[in-house]
Amino acid sequence: MLRLEDVRFAYSHAADAPRFRFDMGVEPGTIAGVIGASGTGKSTLLDLIAGFQTPQAGRVVIDGEQVTGLPPAQRPVSILFQNHNLFEHLSALENVVLGLAPRRRPTAADKETAAAALARVGLAGFEDHPALNLSGGQAQRVALARTLARRSRVLLLDEPFSALDEDNRADLTPLVRAAVTEHGGAGVLVTHDLNDCERLADRILEIRDGQLHEVG
Amino acid sequence: MTVRPIRIHASVLPGIAVAAMLLLLAAALLAELAVRATGLTLAFDRELARIVAFTTMQAALSTVLSLVVGIALAWSLAHQQRFPGRGLLIAMFSAALVLPTLIVVLGLVSVLGRSGWAGDLYNAVTGRSPGFSIYGLSGILIAHTYLNASFVVRTLVNRLEAVPPENRKLAHGLGLSAWRRFRLVDWPACAPSVRGLAVTIFLLCFTSFAIVLVLGGSPRYNTLEVAIYEAVRFEFDLGRALALALVQLAVCAALVAFVGGLRATGRSIHGAATMFAHLQGPAVNRLQRTIIIAAAIAFALPLIATLIDGSRAEFSRLLAEPVFARAALTSVLIAIVSAAIVVTGSVAMALTRRQFTLANRWADARGSPLAALAMSYSASLYLVFPALVLGLGFFLLARRLGGPADLWAVAALITANVTLALPFAVAVLVPTAERAAARYDRLAVSLGLAWSTRWRAIEWPLMRADIGYVAALALCLSLGDLGVIALFGTQDFTTLPWLMYQKIGAYRTADAAGVALILLSLVLATFIFVPRLFSGARHAAP
Repeated sequence: MLRLEDVRFAYSHAADAPRFRFDMGVEPGTIAGVIGASGTGKSTLLDLIAGFQTPQAGRVVIDGEQVTGLPPAQRPVSILFQNHNLFEHLSALENVVLGLAPRRRPTAADKETAAAALARVGLAGFEDHPALNLSGGQAQRVALARTLARRSRVLLLDEPFSALDEDNRADLTPLVRAAVTEHGGAGVLVTHDLNDCERLADRILEIRDGQLHEVG
Repeated sequence: MTVRPIRIHASVLPGIAVAAMLLLLAAALLAELAVRATGLTLAFDRELARIVAFTTMQAALSTVLSLVVGIALAWSLAHQQRFPGRGLLIAMFSAALVLPTLIVVLGLVSVLGRSGWAGDLYNAVTGRSPGFSIYGLSGILIAHTYLNASFVVRTLVNRLEAVPPENRKLAHGLGLSAWRRFRLVDWPACAPSVRGLAVTIFLLCFTSFAIVLVLGGSPRYNTLEVAIYEAVRFEFDLGRALALALVQLAVCAALVAFVGGLRATGRSIHGAATMFAHLQGPAVNRLQRTIIIAAAIAFALPLIATLIDGSRAEFSRLLAEPVFARAALTSVLIAIVSAAIVVTGSVAMALTRRQFTLANRWADARGSPLAALAMSYSASLYLVFPALVLGLGFFLLARRLGGPADLWAVAALITANVTLALPFAVAVLVPTAERAAARYDRLAVSLGLAWSTRWRAIEWPLMRADIGYVAALALCLSLGDLGVIALFGTQDFTTLPWLMYQKIGAYRTADAAGVALILLSLVLATFIFVPRLFSGARHAAP
């Protein structure tokens, strides 16, 4: 489903610049958890899959198609960050609709789909709420609604629970799983929190010395 | 919430004293203008209405142009992090704030004037002379945009670079168009600063003096400041001068009340933010690079022209002129005294103002918002009392109270220079003082540090770099100012900008260019080297 084949990357040619070499595969309907201390390359891994960084060598493959040279918008990928997932001056519904119609005027069907996605994450009635006024948990739900509505094949999770309390984590876990599994997609969760990894991931890898190692 | 009364503590007295002196000065000047106004027939006539209309119109157009150019340039610079020479360009735009306006005007005339570089090039290509004239409204707008767009860039690049990278990734990941990315990510980052910037630029252009004096070209293009100058200096019509001053005062006070003084602009602009230029598409990247190159050429050409024209001056004769030595000495001495007052006053105000805004101090105390506001407004005195209005106040006081004219002139000049630099100085130092206190105030209080120990261990190491910048800023603004000196300047009492203006007026263009080159060198050297005297311990900044 998602494969990184000998993907090599360095931010600069300097001798002391960190170098990364990633090999991994994620099966359909599963989530791979990646742990590692700050600065070990967790975000770099996600940037390479999403297309924000281009590898110096190797291939990124999604559903059998190589996407290595494609810009982020042309990859079937959605991302859920720890925060700043929403455009704060837009409403909850507008944020979700934006994911469905990023380059055209939204239709009534787009708005219906977005409203249904909001209802699914427990935010029916919050359509017109400005994103700025939402709590951390509500904001993550709106971002998740957008992800659900977009039906992307790959969901990248960049410490999505770090800013949330335990109740919100418990509520959001099945929703995140559903976003990944119900369309047979794949997920990659990066986090420094082993508990989050165990809660959500089907297998766990660790980034050490710029490479991925299976740990469980 | 329990509302606590403010307990006056010795540590806030210096800042309150500075604010009180400034407000007292404002009251005294206002009283003097008002008292004099009662004894004179004020000329509120159609001519005054026409001057007000033109002043407002040119300020509004200048503001719009400055914002459009500044926003486009800030957007381009923020996204093109790897543009060759970006650091140098940023340093150039940072320095624009301290460029003497008369030098900018002289440089623009060299490039865009009747026999300027652009005209010669146009003539060589088309065989015709250009119909464009730098004198009049177009010249005023170009000069204002030149100076103020840089001010916009300084403020907005910081804002754009502070956008969380997640927001940019989200916008690219969703595949938003360049225009939508600007609307949804870049514009919301800029918007909170734009109102303050617009009002500040409008005020600076509304009260513009040197640019309009030289480039206005005819009474048709007089602004209130220039009209005050002409009423006092040439017509000696105090009634007209007072009417003009009172109108100016009313408009400026209303606008300052609306915006609440200058906002922090940061010491310099720098770039370490995460941008995704490689994802923007070739057309957007081309557009941004074109904007940067065009702005760099437009910005550099007048300065290069000043350097080239100045280098042709007969320096041996110019430097030997007694009037040059007098002007240089007066400029430097007045700048040093003004800068010392600005540094002392702004540090006192910054350290005091934070007491009224910090949560663990008196932020929730009764009267704190009012005290903080009073300090903001007192620091913004120049925006209400621009140079010529302030000069007129001193001029009237001098005539009424008597005493040595030179002493009044020096006092007026120093006061004008201090009030000119103070809004910028306070805008730089207040956030630094607040950050330092937010980080260390509780610790310092719990350790029971003495005032002097605290200053040595916390405030000075954390603020010294910004204090150095403020000192350089005050020195440069003072060295380059052509405002109050226009009312008080004589053959004996002169400064470098006034000497330059006199030489322009006497058509001694080569001499004026020579003085411009010396002044530019002095200002740039000050701006580059004075902060270094204060550098060190920068790592301690929060």
